[in-house]
Amino acid sequence: MPDVPQNGGYMVAAYIVTAVILLVYAVSLYRRANRP
Amino acid sequence: MSLAQRGRRITLVGLVLLAGVYVRALAYTPIERFQGPAQKIFYLHVPAAWSAMLAMGLVGLSSVLYLLLRDPRFDRFAAASAEVGTTFSLVMLTTGPIWAKPIWGTWWTWDARLTLTLFLFFLFLGYLLLRSAVAEPGLRARYSAVLGICGLVLLPFIHLSVYLFRTLHPQPIVLKPSSPSLPGEMLITLLLSFAVFTVLYVGFVTQRYALSLEREAQGSGDVGRA
Repeated sequence: MPDVPQNGGYMVAAYIVTAVILLVYAVSLYRRANRP
Repeated sequence: MSLAQRGRRITLVGLVLLAGVYVRALAYTPIERFQGPAQKIFYLHVPAAWSAMLAMGLVGLSSVLYLLLRDPRFDRFAAASAEVGTTFSLVMLTTGPIWAKPIWGTWWTWDARLTLTLFLFFLFLGYLLLRSAVAEPGLRARYSAVLGICGLVLLPFIHLSVYLFRTLHPQPIVLKPSSPSLPGEMLITLLLSFAVFTVLYVGFVTQRYALSLEREAQGSGDVGRA
């Protein structure tokens, strides 16, 4: 059986990037709605 | 409850559920033996691609309906869906290369699937730029409807590109004529993520639609111009 590749850093990076993009967009919608 | 408040609540529910998907994917879904932990990017990349395609599909359909019925609600919905679709395309286009690097050995390759999805992203950007460039509402709605329909035409080519051309990108493992070729635990995580990304799409579009309504009531035109 082959060894499992050690590439967890890529996984963590992708999960962080996704969270950042979605949170930034959610905040952008909130701020635009509350802009006077 | 106003439309904006409803949108915010749906978004909040979506974000909480997304945290649940993170926990399930990272802690309770098995690691794929050959690809290692990087394979778990799949649970974000594929649902993001689904949401981007859903967004463009609905932009196209609302554009057709706008041109047929001239109802401004369809134009408003298309604008909202396009902006949200741009966000999901960005997730798809960042998670894809991060997954590709350890598996394919390269961040990017100019094959049919990847190039067409990049083209989809540029179509979304072009759509938003067009809306911000045209001041007259009727003209803006007509021009953007034509571009929205072009996006709708692009979608089947993106889906079928892995069958029509030689590509590094894997073929569909869920949306295909035969049953999904994925172990049960992985399939459940993927389906949960699909559902959560769809909830987020609905929440974002509802908020963005409410924003357009508000701006129109204030007489400040399209949100992209604000």
